[in-house]
Amino acid sequence: MIYDLELYQVGKVYDNGTPAVIDFNLAVNKGEFIAFLGPSGCGKTTTLRMIAGFESISSGNMMIKGVRINDISPAQRPTSMIFQNYALFPHMTVRNNVGYGLDVKGMAKAERNAKVDRILSTLGLDDIAENKPDKLSGGQRQRIALARGLVVEPDILLLDEPLGALDANLRKAIQNELKLLQKTLGITFVFVTHAQSEALALSDRIVVMNQGRVEQISPPHQLYTRPNTPFVAQFIGRNTIFKGAVKGRNAGHTMVDTPFGTLTGDANGAMADGANVSVVIPAEAIEVHAGNAGGREEISRLSGGNVIDAKIRRFDVVGHISHLSVALPDGRMLSLEAHVDKYPPGAFPVDADITLAWKPERATVIPAH
Amino acid sequence: MNSSGTKFALGVYTSLFLVFLYAPMVVLGILSFQTGPEGGPQFPIIEWSTYWYQHLFGFTPPSRIAPLPINEALFRSLVLSVMTMIVSTVLGVSSAQAFRRKFRGSGVAFYLIVLGMMVPGVLVGLGMALVANVLGIDRHWWGTAFVLHVVYTYPFAFLVMLAILNRFDPSVEEAAWSLGVSPIRTFRKITFPLIFPGVLSAMLFAFTLSYDEFSRTLFASGRDLTLPLAIYGTFSVEVHPNVFAFGVLTTIFSFALLGVYAALMTLSIRRAKRIAIQEEA
Repeated sequence: MIYDLELYQVGKVYDNGTPAVIDFNLAVNKGEFIAFLGPSGCGKTTTLRMIAGFESISSGNMMIKGVRINDISPAQRPTSMIFQNYALFPHMTVRNNVGYGLDVKGMAKAERNAKVDRILSTLGLDDIAENKPDKLSGGQRQRIALARGLVVEPDILLLDEPLGALDANLRKAIQNELKLLQKTLGITFVFVTHAQSEALALSDRIVVMNQGRVEQISPPHQLYTRPNTPFVAQFIGRNTIFKGAVKGRNAGHTMVDTPFGTLTGDANGAMADGANVSVVIPAEAIEVHAGNAGGREEISRLSGGNVIDAKIRRFDVVGHISHLSVALPDGRMLSLEAHVDKYPPGAFPVDADITLAWKPERATVIPAH
Repeated sequence: MNSSGTKFALGVYTSLFLVFLYAPMVVLGILSFQTGPEGGPQFPIIEWSTYWYQHLFGFTPPSRIAPLPINEALFRSLVLSVMTMIVSTVLGVSSAQAFRRKFRGSGVAFYLIVLGMMVPGVLVGLGMALVANVLGIDRHWWGTAFVLHVVYTYPFAFLVMLAILNRFDPSVEEAAWSLGVSPIRTFRKITFPLIFPGVLSAMLFAFTLSYDEFSRTLFASGRDLTLPLAIYGTFSVEVHPNVFAFGVLTTIFSFALLGVYAALMTLSIRRAKRIAIQEEA
């Protein structure tokens, strides 16, 4: 099977010796929507620019449709890039901006015009086709940039934080458009963002990066429920993390000795007894029970021993969502959310003793670094 | 001091500044209308006349005051300035483009280029004369002097373009590359039209600096004089208001040049629009 894009041990070291990207491995299927997600300076944009050809590749190999592209110039690569600041040609009209990539290919005028007209109408740009881009709004310019990048029919469309400069409402709207467009066209998209909501909403798979390294490559849901590294556990979603040491196995689950007793979860790999690990529990997996001694054993039995005593610090209902602030015995604060039906108003008085519990299969045991 | 007092003081300061800036030119302009041939380069104005302007073009009856020997000098200076302008601007644009990326020795290269406008002109001129002597090269305004003019004006063109390219958004070029446009074509069709106003400024700098360059040319131009040298030559005998008349005319010429510059600026913007419309059809 030939992938649209493959990266093997790709690395980037800047001239001053600082490593920007380390051992990046990835294989992207045709039509896949991939997001590079991470804090600024994690190497995601550098990797995208290496794919586009704007940055040289220091080590490793990169292929598009099975062809090695390390030494191919940006103009010759079957990629096209969308920039955060749009990078439109200010001295050309919208129509000429969009058509420019076709002009240099020496395409017949009629065919070129037909293609430009089609993409302009797809993106709703017909009315402003004769305008100069500097007179247009951010959303319109974003669409022009998309039209210009898509009309040359690239194998892979690279997007560098394309929604970063838009306001929140517009971002939502264009986000949906983008997803729809990508599904319709079937073009592979590689999308760089530091906003996890964007990555979670748009992509088929997310590559989480930190300090030049790939932390995890997973579909959004799995990233959310099964973080593989401490960084991902902290960066994605709202997880509670307990440190401890592996104690043994029980019914397929891994038992971990922690200051809060023995907790169980599913290990994300082979782990020796005594290994230092973290138990990661998504906020959504935690159930809150009113604390009374009688029920506690039953709760503990149902949740594989995963129970921790805690105290309610705040309990608010906003609309249909109940917000809970909970204090753990070590002083850590936890915020939990649920539908108001689950925790109705007045369910928990402030400072009430409660029991937190979760099912072992919803917790993940990962090696602690 | 209260704020109106500050305002007043600053106003006086500015007025004085403007007086010192323009008074010499105004005095020259007034004296150029002195009557001739007996009127001299001093006040009072004996009688207002355009005698010295006519004298300049040889329309006056012969007198003891020789006409300014500037015909050929003017031609030489114009040719020299245009040559210098073209070469310096091409060098300035291309080297500023090169400096967008750091390269080995870029720091040294930068100071070597800028040195051309820092070193004292008389020394460079003298040095060039000595070098030419040693190497047995004849000194000419189109040879040795031309080289010095380029060395002098190139840094100005270079710095202007460096500032322009510094503000230039490189992602526009990258966008073109990623659409499959070759780097050379990208430079011609995307980069150059966008930096063209800067190129015009660099040309203007190079032209005007070369046109009235004196000290470097003095020793390096050989027998045939350029305009500033020719005018200086007339001073050594006796100063007549015909020099002032010529000064007024060159000032008008400079303003005309600025007018052309402004016109080209607007044209370049219009042209870009028109091309865009033509490509449409």
